Amino acid sequence: MNEPALMAEQGTSLWTDAWLRLRNNRLAVASLIVLLLLVFVCLITPWIAPYGYEEQNLELGATPPSAEHWLGTDVYGRDMLTRVLYGGRVSLMVGFIATSVALLIGVLWGAVAGYVGGRTDAWMMRLVDILYALPFIIFIILLMVVFGRSILLLFLAIGAVEWLTMARIVRGQVLGIRRQEYIEAAVAMGLPTWTILRRHVIPNTLGPVIVYATLTIPQVMLLEAFLSFLGLGIQPPQSSWGLLISYGAETMEEFPWLLVFPGLALAITLFALNFLGDGLRDALDPKASKD
Amino acid sequence: MGGETNVESGNRLKILHYGNYGEPQGLDPHVVTGVPEHHIVSALFEGLVQKNPYTLEVEPAAAKSWDVSADGRVYTFKLREDARWSNGDPVTAEDFAWSWWRALQPALGSQYVFMYFPIKNAERFFNGEIEDFDKVGIKALDQHTLRVELNNPTPYFLQLLDHYSLFPVHPPTIKKYGEPHESYTRWTRPENIVSNGPFVLEEWRLFKYLSVRKNELYWDAARVRLNGIRFYPIDKQTTEERMFRAGQLHSTEDIPIDRIPWYRANRPDLIKIAPYVGSYLYRVNTRREALADVRVRQALAMSIDRETLINTVLNGIFTPAYAVVPDGLLGYQPPKLFDYNPDKARQLLAQAGYPNGEGFPGFELQYNSHEQHRKIAIAVQQMWNKNLNISVQLQNKDWKVYLDDETTGNYDVSRGGWIGDYVDPNTFLDMWTSESGVNRTGFANARYDDLVLQQAPRAASHEQRLELFREAETILMENMPILPIYTYSSKHLVHPSVQGMPSNYMDYKNYRYVDLQAAQDEN
Repeated sequence: MNEPALMAEQGTSLWTDAWLRLRNNRLAVASLIVLLLLVFVCLITPWIAPYGYEEQNLELGATPPSAEHWLGTDVYGRDMLTRVLYGGRVSLMVGFIATSVALLIGVLWGAVAGYVGGRTDAWMMRLVDILYALPFIIFIILLMVVFGRSILLLFLAIGAVEWLTMARIVRGQVLGIRRQEYIEAAVAMGLPTWTILRRHVIPNTLGPVIVYATLTIPQVMLLEAFLSFLGLGIQPPQSSWGLLISYGAETMEEFPWLLVFPGLALAITLFALNFLGDGLRDALDPKASKD
Repeated sequence: MGGETNVESGNRLKILHYGNYGEPQGLDPHVVTGVPEHHIVSALFEGLVQKNPYTLEVEPAAAKSWDVSADGRVYTFKLREDARWSNGDPVTAEDFAWSWWRALQPALGSQYVFMYFPIKNAERFFNGEIEDFDKVGIKALDQHTLRVELNNPTPYFLQLLDHYSLFPVHPPTIKKYGEPHESYTRWTRPENIVSNGPFVLEEWRLFKYLSVRKNELYWDAARVRLNGIRFYPIDKQTTEERMFRAGQLHSTEDIPIDRIPWYRANRPDLIKIAPYVGSYLYRVNTRREALADVRVRQALAMSIDRETLINTVLNGIFTPAYAVVPDGLLGYQPPKLFDYNPDKARQLLAQAGYPNGEGFPGFELQYNSHEQHRKIAIAVQQMWNKNLNISVQLQNKDWKVYLDDETTGNYDVSRGGWIGDYVDPNTFLDMWTSESGVNRTGFANARYDDLVLQQAPRAASHEQRLELFREAETILMENMPILPIYTYSSKHLVHPSVQGMPSNYMDYKNYRYVDLQAAQDEN
């Protein structure tokens, strides 16, 4: 017999593992496809939209869904399909950008505070407490007043207030992880703190972080609608799902389709995000057994 | 027994449940300014005269009769001997003189003090140019005789007397709770207030309701049918409409525009829509560089398709306006200098240096957050974009911010509206004079000021006066510091059991006339 080749088992990265596991979760995969499809359609909206989003036809007015206007028209005779697509661009953008900002700040802040501990931790978390105590709407309004109104700034401003909870969650996780043997081993091997954080600590917090992130996305979408309503966010004729819904609700008895379709779009997105978040949490758990 | 609705119990107990738009700022007739306050204050207090809600003609109230001198400048009022304050004190001519003296205190800061300015020397007293109140044309000759002397014959003077800023207040009560010139003292609390109107304040629950009950000491109490009124502060039209449908309100302050077709088709008996002496317009800040050119402003005015806007988005309930004074006010015909004309508008814009909108910097259109203002702004924004190829940003603001930015001139174009305080073109024209606090556009024209402030008050005849007003309004519309959009209509939902609350040009209600009669077929 030949000597068995000393082939080390091919190491699989965390991400490969996660992908393999996620593939088996049908609901999560379906959700991922729906989301990607939505993002894709919203990205190419300016080229495929049947009408202009600000294009009015006052004589036509509000009409229920028809062959020319698949989702009907609003009181100005604007095509709802076009408006839902354009609204999706804003809503999805605000959802992803603001959540990414929150994710980035929150995870780093929480990981550092939890891992370093001691006085640093106390100071960092007190800062979080202080920011928590500020009414966040006032905080956003202040940011908008100081830096002027722009959509991108609105995204960043929302992200800048949404990271606080994330930081707390991550810190709680890290406090537990820090005492694990593999961290002690890594420290004993002399790895620099940053590498330990990056390779061992943060990946282990991903489960709850991802779940929380999928919850944050709908939250910021609604926050955007609220701010726009106050005159601080998107202004007509631009729109977002949140705004379309709040305007649609005003006339839901007369023109129900103005509420139903943007509502449906938002609901589908949120469901998909939730299922995907569930799937990702299971898939990304590094403690789960390797297949 | 199932739950009884407000309307059912109200009809049984003769209590009117009244949707009243917003939470009142206060109840001091000399301090408050808004429409919700007006509705409450005129239930609690009574001026020298009031109006008939059917004809809008002036009727005696605290004064039982009056004489006017031949030159139309001296009014002598005879007060009722039987008029009483709600604590039993008689209502005297001295009370009126003292109340008006109080309203003219600069420290009180009455926003409506200009209503007094037709009275001789009132403006100079208010400005501190004269110290002695005896020089002002207000004199209590005896307990029941009041003489008022005017600067000029003022045809609308009697109407002013029915405005709450000229209502009397009870001097001992005011003095008891503070200085006469102090606003928002405790005198208007339910346990303190003393008033002379058909109703007295019963209870005020913030953001819930304010209730008044019949004043048994009122001189005409036998005629008052209602036992009380409950005013509900509801500022959202859709909420108000749902409460009305649920039988919680007898009448509403407004109707959501998109709901009107349903009522027209199904319950036309419930909607009351009537022309209303008010103008909806956009103020243009003429101090802004892009808007300083009159041709730009004219182009903006000409490219708004008012007919289509009103017939589609607004369900046809308003009248398009091309000038600021509503049509037919006391026989007045406003000038019509322009029409919807996109071609002409584009030419004007090109002449101003922006052919096809090129190089035009754009501007911001601000409006106070409200469903209807937003609807109109979105349509107008698109009309300007389509007809002139210029981009306009919309900006909605909270009421106080909006008002502050407008007053300080921190705006480009701002939504505005003006409800006539009395039936006379003057109420729409004196606001655009250069010194007026509500002008806010930077428009100043010496000829206009002269016509409105100097010549019209001294006009020899009614016809000549209207002619002067017409000339003034022509100047105003040539300069176009405002873009008129439509003439208001009042729109209410009113339960069939409500009697004596007719639609009228001023949306005026006189609670003495109101009664509740449950229909026979109702249980």
